[in-house]
Amino acid sequence: MANFRRFRPGDLNKLSKCNLDPFTETYELSFYLQYYAKWPSLFQVAEDQNGNIIGYIMGKLESSPDVYQFSEHYLPWHAHITAVTVAPEARRLGIGRLLTEQLEAAADANDAWFVDLFVRSTNHKAIAFYKSMGYSIFRVVKDYYGDHSSDPTQSSEDAYDMRKPMKRDVKKEHIREDGEKYEVQPTDVW
Amino acid sequence: MAYGYGRPALKSTVDVQLQSAFSDGNWNAVVRLADKRAKALKDNYYEAIKVCAESQLDGAAERCGILVAIEDLVKQKTVVDIDTLELYEWAASDFLQSEIEYADTLGPLRVRWAKANPKSPLALQCLQACLEYWDLVSAQQISTALDKAYLNSGDRRYMFWSITLTFLLSISPQCSESSRKVYSLLVLKQLERAAEITENSPKMDIKDRGLLNEEEICLYYRVLLVHGNKDDYIKRVQGNSLGALALLRKGHKLLFWDSLGVLETWGEWDLIFDLSRQALRLGLEGVTPHFFVCDWKVWKTFIAAASKSAKPEAALEEVQSILQDFFALKTKKPDTYKKNLALALLEASSKLYSLSPVTAPDVKGMTSRVIQLGLFLEQYFDRLSVFDDVKEYVSCLSFEEVQTLLEDIFPSMLSAQSDNVKGVILGSLICKIRYLLSTCPQTLSRHPSITDGQQQAEPYRCRVCSGLTSLPCKHCLKSIIVEAIGTSKRISADSDLTDAIPRLDKDPRIDLALVIGLSLLKLSGLRPGALEALWSPTRDLDPSLFLQAILIMDAQLRETPSDNGLRLILVRLYLLLGNASHAHQLWVPMDVKRTIHDALSPLFFDRISSLSPALFQGSRPLMEPLRSYYSSSLRDQCPLKTWEAFSSGSYTSLLDMVEYDGHLQRSCTLMMTLVEESRATRAFSGKTEMEIAENPLAWSIQDDTPLVNKTDYGSFSNLESPHGPQIQDFVRLGPELSNERAHLAFLSEQFADLLSFRPPKEYKPAKAIEAAIRDRNYVLERLTHLNRSLATFIHHPKTPSALTSAELGHYTIVSLLAAAALTSLSTSRADPTPKNMSLASSSIRTTLMSLRASSLQPAPAHMSATCFALTNMHAVSYLREAALAVKHTAGFVLAFHERELARDRSGKSALQRDVVAEMKALETVAAKILSETKAHLQKLKEALGEGGWLDRLLGWIFGEDEQAVDGDEELRRAVSDMIGGPEGAEEWCGRVLEGWREGIKGWLMVRWE
Ligand SMILES: CC(C)(COP(=O)(O)OP(=O)(O)OC[C@H]1O[C@@H](n2cnc3c(N)ncnc32)[C@H](O)[C@@H]1OP(=O)(O)O)[C@@H](O)C(=O)NCCC(=O)NCCS
Repeated sequence: MANFRRFRPGDLNKLSKCNLDPFTETYELSFYLQYYAKWPSLFQVAEDQNGNIIGYIMGKLESSPDVYQFSEHYLPWHAHITAVTVAPEARRLGIGRLLTEQLEAAADANDAWFVDLFVRSTNHKAIAFYKSMGYSIFRVVKDYYGDHSSDPTQSSEDAYDMRKPMKRDVKKEHIREDGEKYEVQPTDVW
Repeated sequence: MAYGYGRPALKSTVDVQLQSAFSDGNWNAVVRLADKRAKALKDNYYEAIKVCAESQLDGAAERCGILVAIEDLVKQKTVVDIDTLELYEWAASDFLQSEIEYADTLGPLRVRWAKANPKSPLALQCLQACLEYWDLVSAQQISTALDKAYLNSGDRRYMFWSITLTFLLSISPQCSESSRKVYSLLVLKQLERAAEITENSPKMDIKDRGLLNEEEICLYYRVLLVHGNKDDYIKRVQGNSLGALALLRKGHKLLFWDSLGVLETWGEWDLIFDLSRQALRLGLEGVTPHFFVCDWKVWKTFIAAASKSAKPEAALEEVQSILQDFFALKTKKPDTYKKNLALALLEASSKLYSLSPVTAPDVKGMTSRVIQLGLFLEQYFDRLSVFDDVKEYVSCLSFEEVQTLLEDIFPSMLSAQSDNVKGVILGSLICKIRYLLSTCPQTLSRHPSITDGQQQAEPYRCRVCSGLTSLPCKHCLKSIIVEAIGTSKRISADSDLTDAIPRLDKDPRIDLALVIGLSLLKLSGLRPGALEALWSPTRDLDPSLFLQAILIMDAQLRETPSDNGLRLILVRLYLLLGNASHAHQLWVPMDVKRTIHDALSPLFFDRISSLSPALFQGSRPLMEPLRSYYSSSLRDQCPLKTWEAFSSGSYTSLLDMVEYDGHLQRSCTLMMTLVEESRATRAFSGKTEMEIAENPLAWSIQDDTPLVNKTDYGSFSNLESPHGPQIQDFVRLGPELSNERAHLAFLSEQFADLLSFRPPKEYKPAKAIEAAIRDRNYVLERLTHLNRSLATFIHHPKTPSALTSAELGHYTIVSLLAAAALTSLSTSRADPTPKNMSLASSSIRTTLMSLRASSLQPAPAHMSATCFALTNMHAVSYLREAALAVKHTAGFVLAFHERELARDRSGKSALQRDVVAEMKALETVAAKILSETKAHLQKLKEALGEGGWLDRLLGWIFGEDEQAVDGDEELRRAVSDMIGGPEGAEEWCGRVLEGWREGIKGWLMVRWE
């Protein structure tokens, strides 16, 4: 059973089902509160009947800083998925999709061009998940992660920057068909 | 807010020489130059630079000049220019944490400036500065000034900042009682007016002072809840423009969601029914997305409301018809909503059934709710969450329904299963449900508890197996174990199944191992209460079954290390077994860190210093990550990220963040962190770096601060029914964290700190007598406080149930010691023997002796003395703590006496004779106990060093002693088979022994005097 609602800080005491899973990062308190303070409608949770959080999504709305306006890597007004996770026991029930759809609705309501996110290039499950919802790879950020999730002999891992156009992007100007071929450096993204 | 900590820049008009001295931090030069400029230019700004530079010098008098200067400015009532203010604020920042209150000093100066220049962008900076120091009084005044200044500007923020701050002030301890009413009324009226504007305007403009967006509206309801009345809330929440449904129509769910909870606490069921019905209809009609409010909580509250209505049957039928409409929707239903709907159907039929239990005529237990349950299980049995989904419903079935489930529904589900893999998934679910039922009271019937005048050990008859039993039914547990082991072995032996398992969400053998382990634990006699009544947690246990349980679950965890449910139970079981290093090894991979410390760390760290001081001797301080989490999260006076919430207009977020911060500041886990570290430090080095009460993290904690426990047990695999204790209660050593225990621990650490107080040696005051009196007064004052507080908490009615017996003994002794020390130090030679002294002293002795008896007690007949002692370390640890407390108190009092004798040869100011004698006697008793305890541990170490341990452990596991496994051959064979016989257990035994040896080594390193 599940409830979908806005995050509230008390949920941080109920994260174990999600955050004890090694694929889910636990951040400092200020990080969660930053999102809750600035973009509360983009921070949504799914909870079970006992109040345990079994899924959540955290996102923000932004564009690149003005100084980069003329850079080829400039990002116009868009929503960004910072974290999405579903507890192992609650996966494949559509919870991840529903959370993402809520964030997309908020992105549309705020007139965003697209929603984007970074994912480890080896996180095949998550990539399949995003692709199933219409996200595609926009570019590859080389060695974006300072460690490797499955191969301890490697000291870094690439990220895929994936995107889905929102209603505002009528002409689909902000996505690419062959984004796998566009490689950029971590310093090009922000 | 990073604002305020850095050194501010001087005005650009200041000359280069002074500028560079200032930026170099060359304070002597700054003082000299600023003084010169002040005199030459007659500009107060230079005066201020001088004072601020002086505050950076070493001399105490110069440093404090800044405080005097600020005080003068506050008194003068003039507006100080902003640059001077910035300078002062920076220079005083060290004092602002402790010596002076922002609200009495810089706050009012900021207010004055902002009121004089409300339209300046710097006024906002003043507001921000006040918030940074969480000075709500000043911040509220500034925000009101800003609101007035920007009245018709179209910038709505100022109005809502002012409202939010007025509200925060009205509920804050910073507000004086006389102003509280005024502010409460003010904020309510402002919002009422805004609400009226919204309700009466067909279309709102950004410039209107009404409620426009979701955050503003929800802020209104939050305030209404606190300061308004119920009728107003109820009226508004049904309104056309500000009501819950109105917001839903616009795609905003927050108010609807919150209001369901509020109305439920008020018992407004008719309104809940109406609102939920309309909200769900909005989804059906497509006004909102179809499943927008199809949350489980909405259905559950809706159904509860229906069952409480005047015509519950009709209302529940309406619920069912709405449910059918949802089922009939042609759109694709996300799985999770489909499941919510199916469960709602189950919930509704369960409620309908309890109104008028009707059964099918031919089969007694085949009721509508069992049928519905069966349908749900058929559809969802292979989902991971199914057990938790149905647990509540299974637990409330009548015995006849249970029978139908076990004898009709399950067998027919099993026989319908042609897929082998699904068959074993179902088999493992059935084992879990059978275990759940063994914890449900309706499976037992009372049997005469006295037969032929004899008290019966098994006063129940199990209705499932008809055997006589106590709670829970042993026969059923045994048959569940045998069945689960059978299924597990069948899986392992079938390569088709083992090949299929990696593709499943979860290996069914995990659940089977859990059922086997938990059943063995229950059979072994593990009870939540037993931990308490019987001192040693494992005393009353059958060691063989207890060890088998751990062994089987441990073996499973090694196969499937990602199962945290099993892992958490094992962590606790190893702690009960006295094997903390092992528990720690299992704990670490879960990577509990940062934000989840507060809720999860108690699962491992609570009482850890009493279980294994050795763990604190690792390379990295054991609890440092916890401490640093609290330090970083509670660093500022203002709750984290509040300015961001203000500036983003997230008013409800802001209120929630303030509340969360308040809880974190008085978290039981935070107190646990301070106490455990302090104890471990004392155990090894004798003295802590900082007194516990001096730690900034403890500053806000007074005796009347209620400390909150937020421990999260959500990840334990919990198969217990809601009727009784939960799994965490079985596997925890003693009661969970609580306000009472946390305060007692805090106070007793403060007492330990006081006992190590020695008047400073290096400083030899000219007036020795005065200094001695001052020290004595200081000690008496603190003792008086500690004595009073300890007595209050130890006598609190909730306290005995919040502590283990060892803790109760220890804190009782500490409380008596505080009283005895206070009495002693209040006497002088010529006084008569104080009346309560011998009473206190004899109570201390008695409590100490009974603590000793239970800590160093002999093992029960069927247990090895060593193994028993190893699982009793918590009590031993408190015996040591208590004996040390006695010894140190006596030492403290006697040292005082000696000092007085040395100082005043006449002996008049020395302590009363009998007091001295009592203290000496206590010291002797304590010393004796300490050496006994140390010898006890030494003996344990030696015993563990002897050969033959592996065989001995194996002997217990496999029950050399027939009695130990109840002579049940089938069970014994099945378990032994599952473990793989003695060979299968050898490696595990080796690890356990190693853990014990490590633990004892650590104990012998602690201090004993
Ligand atoms: C990625 C994740 C959030 C998906 O959540 P979820 O609730 O299980 O996903 P959904 O049930 O909504 O799946 C929607 C669709 O995504 C695809 N998908 C999801 N998980 C998939 C998997 N493991 N393999 C292949 N496809 C998958 C499917 O197409 C699925 O639709 P379907 O079930 O009808 O076939 C979840 O697996 C997770 O928390 N992983 C760990 C954390 C993580 O990696 N987060 C992403 C970091 S960028």
